[in-house]
Amino acid sequence: MLALALVLTLTPGAGSSPGWRPGLVVLRTALLTAAPFWVFLLVLHDVTTTVAIGLRITTMVASFVWLVAALEPARLVEAMVAAGWSASLAYLFGATLSAVPVLKARAQRIVEAQRARGLSARGGIAARLRALRALALPLVLSALHEVDERALALETRGLVPGIRRTPLAPPPDTPVERAARWALLLACLFALFRRVM
Amino acid sequence: MRSLTLEGVSFWYPATDSPALRNVSLHVARGEIVALVGALGAGASTLLLVAADLAPRVTGGRLTGSAARHDRSGIVLPTPWTQASGMAFSVWDEVAFGPANLGWPTHEIARQVDRAIEQLELAPLASRDPVTLSGGELQRVIIAAILAMDPGLVLLDEPAAELDSDGARTLWRLIRRLAKDGKAVLLATSTLDALPEVADRVVWLEDGAIRAVGPPDLLADVAACDAGLGTSVATVWRTSGLPGPYPLTVAHALRRWR
Repeated sequence: MLALALVLTLTPGAGSSPGWRPGLVVLRTALLTAAPFWVFLLVLHDVTTTVAIGLRITTMVASFVWLVAALEPARLVEAMVAAGWSASLAYLFGATLSAVPVLKARAQRIVEAQRARGLSARGGIAARLRALRALALPLVLSALHEVDERALALETRGLVPGIRRTPLAPPPDTPVERAARWALLLACLFALFRRVM
Repeated sequence: MRSLTLEGVSFWYPATDSPALRNVSLHVARGEIVALVGALGAGASTLLLVAADLAPRVTGGRLTGSAARHDRSGIVLPTPWTQASGMAFSVWDEVAFGPANLGWPTHEIARQVDRAIEQLELAPLASRDPVTLSGGELQRVIIAAILAMDPGLVLLDEPAAELDSDGARTLWRLIRRLAKDGKAVLLATSTLDALPEVADRVVWLEDGAIRAVGPPDLLADVAACDAGLGTSVATVWRTSGLPGPYPLTVAHALRRWR
């Protein structure tokens, strides 16, 4: 599974632009995210167990990072609505996937604003910690503030529980894709059954 | 025919003791444009949230008095970047987000979206990704998105704040056209100079309560000018020490001067 995840992350066009670079960025993000888990595992377990659990965690992280990089949240929402899911639930999934790039862009703006006011993230650990605090506080506060305004905006734009949204341009869902989905679900159930039995 | 009727409305935000609105009574008729003016914190934005049935239903808090809405409302909030759905590939999709949520058939969605895009002069931007737009462009997109839902009661909170002067002029013309088409418009704005040409009535809010209601001439009133709520012409006239009553617009000033 890890091999599959890594292949997918390195697939040209895994990100939003063609070529290998987006895939490498995704892979680097996945490995950096999984790295702390490896450290903790190594502290707690022997090498064999660390490798066994670490590979599973890395597979999960790589799969999720690849999903976030490759899947347009808007397409997911359209596909879920077309498949009969609740629009609110579909939006919840889509908004969760789109939260990472949104927060990243906002963090970048905050860093630029802090730099313009003379705060440098370079230097020793103390300087970096000061810069981190100057980033984290406005990032968290602005995200919390935006949640309120976004709730009002979505409500006024008709995204309320119980609506029957009209799918505008649902992505095509071929019989092969449907069969692949069922096959994956059955494979998961089979693996679970084998594990339990 | 009334579109909105507020009777003795007071409203408290959660965990606050003093009301953001105090005993406000106001009605807005179809085809009428009512402008809310006041200092920061006077309660104009809160009044719009109550009119949109978002306060206290979504914001929480407590409301006394009665608020009756006779038409479906649509509200444009002051920060366009928090109102984008984040689920659109293009401006057209962004404008269609609301109508699609209403469950309309696709041909009706396309008709309303095309009409709103034309009203806001957004056709050249229709295929652009919303995240690449400037603040003013996104503001126009959000206004189009609300109008595409065909609300009978249009609520606008500082709609010209992000717009350049051309964009603002287009917006004020559009608001007049909306009223002519029978929509009720309630707007909060600090762009006071536009109101003599746009608003039918002006409501002056102070500390959550209505201090005065009247025609746009109210913005040349001595008390309004003292409170910083006069038009530029009235304010300059007053600052120059010229005698009242103060002229409201440049045209009025010219007539007085001659």
